[in-house]
Amino acid sequence: MKELVNLEDLWKIYPVGPGVQALKGVNLRITEGEYLAIMGPSGSGKSTMLNLLGCLDRPTRGRYRLGDQDVSTLSDNELSEVRNRRIGFVFQSFNLIQQLTVVENIEVPLFYRGLPRRLRHPRSREMADMVGLGDRLYHKPAELSGGQQQRVALARALVNEPLILLADEPTGNLDTHTSNEIMVLLDELHSRGRTIIMVTHESHVAVHAERAIHMRDGQIESDTDADAENLGRHT
Amino acid sequence: MRAVHKVKDILLLGLHSLSVHKVRSTLTALGIFIGVCGVIAMLAINEGASAEAQRTLRALGSTNIIIMSRKPPQDDSKATGRTRGALNYGLTKRDETRITGGSVPYVRRHATIHQTKKMAYLAGKNLSVSVIATEPLIAEIVRIDVLAGRFITSVDMLRRKPHCVIMAPLARSLFGYENPLGKTVRIGGEPLVVVGMLSRLPQALVGEGAEATDSVIIPRTTGMDRFGELIVEARTGSRTFERVEISRIILQMEEEKDVLAAAPIIRSLLERNHDQEDYDVKVPLELIEQKKKQMFLWNVMLVTIASVSLLVGGIGIMNIMLATVVERTREIGVRRAMGAKQWDIIAQFLVESVTLTTVGGVIGIAAGVCLPWMIQRYLQFPTETSGWTILLPFLMAVTVGLISGIYPAVRAARLDPIAALRHE
Ligand SMILES: Nc1ncnc2c1ncn2[C@@H]1O[C@H](COP(=O)(O)OP(=O)(O)OP(=O)(O)O)[C@@H](O)[C@H]1O
Ligand SMILES: [Mg+2]
Repeated sequence: MKELVNLEDLWKIYPVGPGVQALKGVNLRITEGEYLAIMGPSGSGKSTMLNLLGCLDRPTRGRYRLGDQDVSTLSDNELSEVRNRRIGFVFQSFNLIQQLTVVENIEVPLFYRGLPRRLRHPRSREMADMVGLGDRLYHKPAELSGGQQQRVALARALVNEPLILLADEPTGNLDTHTSNEIMVLLDELHSRGRTIIMVTHESHVAVHAERAIHMRDGQIESDTDADAENLGRHT
Repeated sequence: MRAVHKVKDILLLGLHSLSVHKVRSTLTALGIFIGVCGVIAMLAINEGASAEAQRTLRALGSTNIIIMSRKPPQDDSKATGRTRGALNYGLTKRDETRITGGSVPYVRRHATIHQTKKMAYLAGKNLSVSVIATEPLIAEIVRIDVLAGRFITSVDMLRRKPHCVIMAPLARSLFGYENPLGKTVRIGGEPLVVVGMLSRLPQALVGEGAEATDSVIIPRTTGMDRFGELIVEARTGSRTFERVEISRIILQMEEEKDVLAAAPIIRSLLERNHDQEDYDVKVPLELIEQKKKQMFLWNVMLVTIASVSLLVGGIGIMNIMLATVVERTREIGVRRAMGAKQWDIIAQFLVESVTLTTVGGVIGIAAGVCLPWMIQRYLQFPTETSGWTILLPFLMAVTVGLISGIYPAVRAARLDPIAALRHE
C-alpha cells in the first residue's frame, strides 16, 4: 500500500508564556485507505495534530510528508492550495456558512479551486445526493438537523476528492442515533477506499476505525498497529 | 481563464453578502450617496455662478481698461481743487493726452465719456436723464445694440450736430407708442433730434450706479457746444458745485495680454499726477482673473468639505466592515480551511466595501446631476455640470471605499484559520 502521511519527529510549541509543548516529537505513518482514530485525554494534543495534518498550521520542528510532497515548509498560499485539493475537513460543530444554501456550502471548495459555476453546481448536487440530501439542496443550514448539517459538511469535505478526510470529533455534537448515521457513512467511505483520520474520545465511535492511536502529553502513547506488530512478534 | 471567472465569482460573492444585509448596506451607501450628490450639486452651482460672472465681466470687454473719475474721500482741511466754491476732481484732458499720447504701450483706440444729469422735456413731460457725451468710436470698443435708426456718427461729431440716441425705455416714457426717430426733445434746455434708439448699453458706458435705461447719448462735440467743457453739477440742497472734466476713459488694447502689462503703467501714471485718489482704474480681465481665482478657492473649499463628508462616510464603511469581519470570523476560518488564500479573503471584503461606495456613488451622480438641473429649471439659477465635477467626487468615493475596506479586509485575511474556526 502507498504511504500517504509520514510524520517525523514532529513538534508543536505554542509561543505562550514559557511555551506550550502541544506535540513532542511525534512519528506516524499512515498508508492509503487507512481508517485511523486518534484518542486520548483532553489536552493531549489530538486537535493540534489534526490541524497539522490538515495543513491549517505549521509544525515548530520536524517533517511532514503528505503524498509525494513535503508540506512542513510551504508558504501560506501553497498550504491553502494543499488544503483545497488534498484535504477534506469535518468539524465537531459542522462549520457550515449560515447564509449559504446546502449546494452553495458544498460548492465552497470548488469555488476556491477556481471551477466555473456551471461545473460547480452539478458536482455539488451529486455530492448532496451521495449523502442523502438531494431533496434539501436549497435549504439553509439553520433549517437542517445536526445530522443533516454534518452530512452536508461531509459532502463539502469530499467534493474535491481529497487524499485524506480529517474529522475532529465529528459526532461530538450529535445524539447516538444520528451519530450512528454519520459513522455508517464514514464506514461506507472507508470501504470504498477513502483514507480517514478521526479524533474522538468515545470508544464506541473509535471501534469503527481499523487502527487507533492513543495520545498523552503530546506524544503517541500507544498505536494498535504497532501493538499488533508487537503481538505478532511475541507469538 | 481561471482568474477571470474567479474574479466574477468573488464579485458575486460580495454582492451576495451585501444583499443579505440590505438595510445595513443601504444605510452605509446612503452616506456616500449624500456626499457625492452634494458635492456634484455644489460644484455645479459654483461653476454656474462663476461662468455667469465671467460672462458679465467679458461683456465689459476683456481687452478694455476703464478709467473713471471718482469723488475723492471728503477731506475739508486739505482744500485742494476747491476754487470758487466748486469741488474739482477726476480725470482731466491732460490725463487723456498723457495716457493716449504714447507713454502707455499697446493702446489701440480709446473713447472719452462726459456724463451729466439733465432734465428732458417733451410735451409737458419732465424727466431726469443721464446725458452721455462721447465719440462714435465707442461703438467699436464696447458692444452697442441699435434697435432702430442709427448710432451717432463721425459726421454728427464733426458737424457738431444736435443729434441724440436714446434708450428704448426712455423713448417709451417720452414718446409713448410714437416712433421717436426724427422727433425733437429738449434736454437741459437744448433741442436735440432723436436719430436712433438702443436696446441695451454696457455698464462700462453708463458708469457705476447709473441706470442704462434713462440714458441719452450725444456726440462729444455737441456736448461741449451745448453744455460746456466742464461737467457742473449742483448738489441739491447744497451750494457746492462739482467739476469733472472727463467722467470715463475707455481704452482698448491690442490684445488681452497687453491689458495686464498696461494697467500698472496707467496706474502709476495717474498716481504721479493726482495728489488724491479721485480716479479708479478698472480692468475687466483682472476682475475675470480675480473671479476665476475666487471660484477656484471656492472649488477647493467645496472639494475639501466633500473630502470630509466622504471621510466620515469612509469611517462609517470601515466601521461596518470591521463589525462584519468580527461577525463572520467563523466563516473566514471555514473558507480558509476549504482552501481560500489570504488574497481571496481580502478580495471578498474589498468587493463589499467598494460595491457599497460605487453604488452610493452612481446614485449620487444621478441625483447630483438632476439637482442642479432642477435648480436651473425652477429657480432660474445658472448651474454648470462638467466632466470633472462628476468624475472627481465619484473617484473620491470609490477611493474611500477601497481605503476604508483595505484595513478590515487585511485583518480578516490575517486571522489565524484555527483561531477563526474556534471563534464563537
Ligand atoms: N493556540 C494555542 N495556544 C496555546 N496553547 C494551545 C493552543 N492550542 C492548543 N494549545 C494547548 O495545546 C495542548 C493541546 O491542545 P489540543 O487542543 O490539541 O488538545 P486536544 O487533545 O484536542 O483536547 P480536547 O480533547 O479537549 O479537544 C493543550 O494544552 C492546549 O492548552
Ligand atoms: Mg480537541
